[in-house]
Amino acid sequence: MTTSSDRTAPDAVQTDLVQFLTRRTGKDWTADDDVFGSGGLSSLHAMELVVHLERTFGVSIRGGDLQKENFRTVQRMSELVERLQTAGDGGTGA
Amino acid sequence: MREAVALAGATVTELVGDRADDWDLAGELPRDVLRKLAEAGLLAAQIPARYGGPGWNSTDSGEFTAEVGSLCGSLRSVMTAQGMAAWTIERLGDPAQATRLLPRLVSGDTAAVAFSEEQAGSDLSAMTTSVTVDGSALTLTGRKTWVTAACYADFLLVVARMGAEGAVVVVPRTAPGVQVHRIGDPLGCRAAGHAHVWLDEVRLPLDHLLGGGRQPLPLLVTTALAYGRMSVAWGCVGMLRACLAAAVEHAGSRRQFGRPLGDHQLVARHVADLWAGEQIATRACEHASRCWDADADDLGAAVVLAKYVSAQHAAAGAAAAVQVLASAGTRDGHVVARAYRDAKLMEIIEGSSEMCQLMLAGHALSRR
Ligand SMILES: Cc1cc2nc3c(=O)[nH]c(=O)nc-3n(C[C@H](O)[C@H](O)[C@H](O)COP(=O)(O)OP(=O)(O)OC[C@H]3O[C@@H](n4cnc5c(N)ncnc54)[C@H](O)[C@@H]3O)c2cc1C
Repeated sequence: MTTSSDRTAPDAVQTDLVQFLTRRTGKDWTADDDVFGSGGLSSLHAMELVVHLERTFGVSIRGGDLQKENFRTVQRMSELVERLQTAGDGGTGA
Repeated sequence: MREAVALAGATVTELVGDRADDWDLAGELPRDVLRKLAEAGLLAAQIPARYGGPGWNSTDSGEFTAEVGSLCGSLRSVMTAQGMAAWTIERLGDPAQATRLLPRLVSGDTAAVAFSEEQAGSDLSAMTTSVTVDGSALTLTGRKTWVTAACYADFLLVVARMGAEGAVVVVPRTAPGVQVHRIGDPLGCRAAGHAHVWLDEVRLPLDHLLGGGRQPLPLLVTTALAYGRMSVAWGCVGMLRACLAAAVEHAGSRRQFGRPLGDHQLVARHVADLWAGEQIATRACEHASRCWDADADDLGAAVVLAKYVSAQHAAAGAAAAVQVLASAGTRDGHVVARAYRDAKLMEIIEGSSEMCQLMLAGHALSRR
């Protein structure tokens, strides 16, 4: 858990997300697997994923940041978290 | 309950008065009632204060939704649509869009949300309505069905495909190419303004695309539906409270075989089940609202649980209330007759009971 002024190491973000996805789907994940592809997250978990990212890393993901590109893989999501944490106030919008 | 919520409850109770029966029979809500509530921000009370809204949390907003739901299922349906539209704009819109659109929803305008299509009901991944972008404009084409509140709406949020992803387009009802066809004979929530919406090459400026579009369709749909499910669930609590009150009043006052109906055990059981149903639904909604307000990790499951449990108990409870009132409750328009028809629809919309069961099973199974 960090506050928005802290930066989380990209590795730590990835480890956390892989754990989250494994818990939700009951299968193993790598940083490059397609999150919304077949065998990926159900729609119920899609929103939980966003809530989890916001809470765990102290960012706010709104507007243009919700585009699919940012969520395709664990790698992409960790980049999103890094970008939002750097922006500081959480969320750049579109 | 906070003072503002109690005050709002009194306002809406006075505004509705004893007219909900007539609205149901006429199949229409008076525009001035909708406008007054919209202007007071009470059709979407969770819109944050920075956009001019009441900024209530989910628990307070839920209690108020139950209050409205106990008075008039159609009005509560319009609130569900408005709140879902507001939440979708807040979550998916960029800051400029939120600043432009949300203040409208607390100053008199109303909105509706269109997901469903003829061939895409439970399976929204089958939707074919699509949006394309060229230069500075977008073009939207498709046919949506059963859009609650579309007859009253100043603008519609239309969920569409955008290439391989999803998008939400803000469509003014008067835009060229938009047709709204009223559904004249719904089983329940008869005054909620349901309509089919046809979109024929509707061209709009690019800033009508929430957040630029291209969000994952499942994410976009669950985000919007999460609010709708909370609102429906609390609305069902309201229906249960209205049915319980009517059943208790009748069972206590009407006498057959020399004693009040409530003294006959088989009737008493209906009352017990109604009360239990109201309590169970209330607890499930309170829990989900707490999860909402805390941004809890398992919010999704809590919301689906609340919707599933509340709709089932509302449908069963309304049927029990009609049984207890018998001929006294079998006039169209009567509060329990309305609840009987309205509650059944709550098992169909915003994720049918079967779809909720599949989601809850998936949730349980994934925790192995
Ligand atoms: C009063 C009312 C208001 C509405 N308001 C809106 C609105 O504002 N906006 C909007 O976009 N839509 C709205 N809808 C549409 C609503 O969302 C759909 O009716 C709903 O999603 C179900 O789709 P369907 O009617 O096509 O049923 P279908 O999807 O055809 O389902 C028929 C039956 O099969 C079951 N079923 C389907 N698939 C499965 C499965 N995989 N496993 C088990 N059972 C399954 C369903 O649960 C249901 O019992 C409204 C509908 C009504 C009746």
